[in-house]
Amino acid sequence: MELTLKNLQKSFGKKEVLKGISFSTEGGKAFGLLGRNGAGKTTSIRIIMGVFSADGGEVLIDGKPIDYNKIQIGYLPEERGLYPKKKIIDQLVYFANLKGMNYKSAVKSVDYWLRRLNMTEYRDKRLDTLSKGNQQKIQLITAIAHNPQIIILDEPFSGLDPVNAMILKDVVKEQIKKGKIVLFSSHQMNYIEEFCDKIAILNNGKIALQGELYDIKRNYVRDKLIVRSENADKIVEELGECCSLTETGEIKIQLNSENEKQNMMKTLTEKYDIDEIKVFEPSLNDIFVEYTKN
Amino acid sequence: MNQFSTILKFELKSCFQKKAFVGITIFLVLVIAFVMFSPRVFGMFSDDDTQSSESKPVILVVADSPKNADFLKKYFAKAFVDYDVKISDKNLTDVKNQIISQKAECAFVLKSLSSYEYYVNNLSLYDSNTQIADEALENIYRMNEMEKNGVPMENVEKVFNTSIEHDTKALGQNQAQNFFYTYIMIFALYFVIIIYGQMVATNVATEKSSRAMELLITSAKPVSMMFGKIIASCLAGLIQLVAVFGSAYLFYNINKPYWTGNPLIESIFNMPLELLVYMVIFFILGFFIYAFLYGAIGSTVSKLEDINTAVMPLTLIFVIAFFVVVYSMTNGSVDNIMMVVCSYIPFTSPVAMFTRIAMSTVPFYEILISIAILVASVIGIGVISAKIYRVGVLLYGTTPKIGSLLKAIKKA
Repeated sequence: MELTLKNLQKSFGKKEVLKGISFSTEGGKAFGLLGRNGAGKTTSIRIIMGVFSADGGEVLIDGKPIDYNKIQIGYLPEERGLYPKKKIIDQLVYFANLKGMNYKSAVKSVDYWLRRLNMTEYRDKRLDTLSKGNQQKIQLITAIAHNPQIIILDEPFSGLDPVNAMILKDVVKEQIKKGKIVLFSSHQMNYIEEFCDKIAILNNGKIALQGELYDIKRNYVRDKLIVRSENADKIVEELGECCSLTETGEIKIQLNSENEKQNMMKTLTEKYDIDEIKVFEPSLNDIFVEYTKN
Repeated sequence: MNQFSTILKFELKSCFQKKAFVGITIFLVLVIAFVMFSPRVFGMFSDDDTQSSESKPVILVVADSPKNADFLKKYFAKAFVDYDVKISDKNLTDVKNQIISQKAECAFVLKSLSSYEYYVNNLSLYDSNTQIADEALENIYRMNEMEKNGVPMENVEKVFNTSIEHDTKALGQNQAQNFFYTYIMIFALYFVIIIYGQMVATNVATEKSSRAMELLITSAKPVSMMFGKIIASCLAGLIQLVAVFGSAYLFYNINKPYWTGNPLIESIFNMPLELLVYMVIFFILGFFIYAFLYGAIGSTVSKLEDINTAVMPLTLIFVIAFFVVVYSMTNGSVDNIMMVVCSYIPFTSPVAMFTRIAMSTVPFYEILISIAILVASVIGIGVISAKIYRVGVLLYGTTPKIGSLLKAIKKA
């Protein structure tokens, strides 16, 4: 199964929120939707879910317009919230019912997930008696209990302790393995790098960069060097503006072009006492900052 | 449809689980049970005749001269049938003390047959004793004068004791008889619409402020959400009305023999059945008009504490409608121009037209027109409210201005 967004456009009043968003992702893979606050991620997600209709463009499943009667979507919103005063089992079953499950199978599925997430003891408790992390696990159940084909997770790891984060990771990996389309939206780039094969970076309603994460990193222009040396201060002073010190005390040297790499390495090793010298490999975080910095 | 019934069931269950709903219903049923069983219960303990004459409050009459004492006692006793009239020859201080110590309720100290002082401990707003005494003394004066002019005493008494027989045939409604049940029903309509309407607004705002809306809006269609909630509240309101009025009817029937001769209670329980049907019709239609708007308003509010200010204008409209109706009822003029106008305006017609049907004679076609306008308005307001709701539920931050909301609705 393939989910495709084709040239989505959306305005609220005079504000153009989406200016032609296109990307596609397939089952069995996780897709990372990145972007700064207000870049248009939530609007894109809401259009995928059919909450808004787009002003232009389409949401397609295997090339045909999405049919919400056939395709089930599970959603973990960034703004968490359920009924604080209601029993957990009641509201989880209610949400599964709303997604089209009958009462019996909803109860069965909810009980399975409560067990899976070590939450069975809270089954008949009110939601507001739970800690924030546990409330988040309950919220996750609303996104997956009805066995959806598409799962959209908006900041799924925020507020989770390392043990709970591990449990969630296992669940997400399992869902990907089952062939589901998983759409990730997060500012925690390490999780995106861990899960996503493909990403799209949104900036001001447009896609600033998209593709396979591996390719993005590989195709990144190799025109920066990272140098570790006892004479760091001296190097920075002598090379001038193209140098900067990183947080870890290494020197980052911006070259005019990739071709200068060899010469610069040679010069540095001849002139200074160098411990280590390598070409700069950007993290997703670096790429993100570069493409979304206005 | 499936989604709608899921929401309806969930909301209805939430309603029944609310302590306030259960508590108020039980409380009202208990109060009604207490009132309805009271004559039976109190009847067991009391011995009617002796008790009632003993417990009559005392009126003291101080005659202007001893020769008038018998005369005055006779006529005052006739005028004040519910009192024990005693002639007192004590001085003024003793009389006052008796009143202060509550041995007597009041005293008439006569200076002459045409002048007196009235003594009472606390003068009630509704004290009409002086009017009764004035009338009694006027009669005494007239009789004395006639006797002086040579009319024999028995003739005089005959003239004054003539009783006129009359029989009222109300061709339309008897307002004296149906005032109370109309009042009770209007009150019930008013409270149920206000309470359950506001409950809809609060529920929507709660879902928004707890952010459960984020998930709901992606799980169900806004129209199903709104209608599910409103119809659940309407059913809860109806169930409460049926519980309260039904238990009243049941308790009345159990205690029927004890209530014979009580015109108020008998009039309430002998109300025409068609009036109940009209009450249900106007309740449902009136409820929908207000609940749709309450729901729409609730959807535009992001914080629960803003809900009261947001719904205030709507509540005020209904409060004004209620007061116009109650004012017209107490004035006995339920067909005044204001009421006629109000009985066609959809926001006021549920109470205004219902009152006119109950207390006056309204041509059937007028009732039909009023109901038709109401039905059309319910549909119209339902459609507009659903649009506001769709837009409103996703708006967070400051409550939107009406202008910007209308623009958003046009687009929706």
